[in-house]
Amino acid sequence: MNAPDRYERFVVPEHAQKVTREIDTKVRHAATFVIEREDHTVGNIVRMQLHRDPNVIFAGYKVPHPLEYKLLIKVQTKGGQPPQGGEPPQALMNALTDLTAELDSIGTQFQEAVAAVRPQLGEPTSPMAVVPDYQ
Amino acid sequence: MAPANKPSTRRTPQVRLRNYDSDDYCEFELLGTDVSVANALRRIILSHVPTIAIELVEIERNSTVLNDEFIAHRLGLIPIVSTDVGILTSPYEANDDKQCDELEYELNVRCTGDETMDVTSEDLRPHNSWPNALPVGHSQRPQGSAAQGNAADERPIVIVKMRRGQELKLKAMARKGTGKDHAKWSPVATARFQYRPDIQLDQDALSRLSFQEKESFLNSIPRGKMIFRLNPHTSEIEVNDAEAYLFDRQIFERMEEFSLPPDAITIRPLPDYFIFKVEGTGVLPCATIVSMAIDILREKLAVLHTEVQNQENFAPMLSDAAA
Repeated sequence: MNAPDRYERFVVPEHAQKVTREIDTKVRHAATFVIEREDHTVGNIVRMQLHRDPNVIFAGYKVPHPLEYKLLIKVQTKGGQPPQGGEPPQALMNALTDLTAELDSIGTQFQEAVAAVRPQLGEPTSPMAVVPDYQ
Repeated sequence: MAPANKPSTRRTPQVRLRNYDSDDYCEFELLGTDVSVANALRRIILSHVPTIAIELVEIERNSTVLNDEFIAHRLGLIPIVSTDVGILTSPYEANDDKQCDELEYELNVRCTGDETMDVTSEDLRPHNSWPNALPVGHSQRPQGSAAQGNAADERPIVIVKMRRGQELKLKAMARKGTGKDHAKWSPVATARFQYRPDIQLDQDALSRLSFQEKESFLNSIPRGKMIFRLNPHTSEIEVNDAEAYLFDRQIFERMEEFSLPPDAITIRPLPDYFIFKVEGTGVLPCATIVSMAIDILREKLAVLHTEVQNQENFAPMLSDAAA
């Protein structure tokens, strides 16, 4: 009866921004990023990637409530100047860049491996390249 | 440390395709990365790869034993070949210049014979310009299309059974969607990954057991004869297929019973070696599903990067030195 609509899970409301940043007022070099309509899929990989960054002191994520379709990522860095150092947004961007590069490599390798066994599963008619822009 | 994008934090995983004989099943290995990446990929395959499914049903006449909602639900679950999904627009992607695509189907069946009649996915008549988007295994599928399947051994999906005089007439509308919205849009039956177990045997410790004892030890372990084999020449236990091990604790309990020291057999999951098994439903070839999933995840992260970058350009978060 009062359940939220199914589309609420993945459609970003018109007035909302995909990502907002809240700077921590009590801890230095710390911020929380609120990401609308994302879940553990993104939260966990980003968190784990942030942990690999030596400049990051703390990185964690949470989905505050199963019916609030948003994700919080909290990051604290050592500060300093990029490229070695940087504030949380810089660390987050680095993590995202690293992950996209990694997925690029996984994607290329997978497609090459498939093309070797199944050449007909090739490019032109395949919807592989098309990605829904639900964001 | 290297400048710019700090390559030290970057991984270069390896992908090995293991088995891809049929479009409905795919097995591959992902090495040199974190579980979080493997799990994200699995979750994206399950719920973010778009497919086509029936979403709206207009029932004109229904005198079958199943009620309207029941039939509508069953129609929704019918897998529809989704090779064209990339050029379709879902209602949520639709905007001023793009219209949401709706694929119409018609079903009009009346039972006139004395025998029970099956109404199947075969009775759904497409009504539109998407010739590939037919129920999986439908006999009308254009030959030589990307949606090639083995229609011969596929039997149509039963929607409802009828007796003499019963009738079903309806119009169904299919749309593009994702498993996040409803599981009927999920492109796979299952998508799973497992760690590869690393099994180390201490032959000195195991040699306390006689050949017969080893035999009964292996027999007492679940899948023992698949994981291990007994070499009749050396009478040693050898690893046969490590992946048959299901990470159950039984084996260690049996080791105690056979009074073996706990380090006679050590098993640990390799932390960066994942084996993916993807079972499709026939709506898309499994390799396409995985490729799309990788692209979708990449795209999600790229969008976040742009968003954070924009915000940073607009109002940078200043370090203390600059503030």
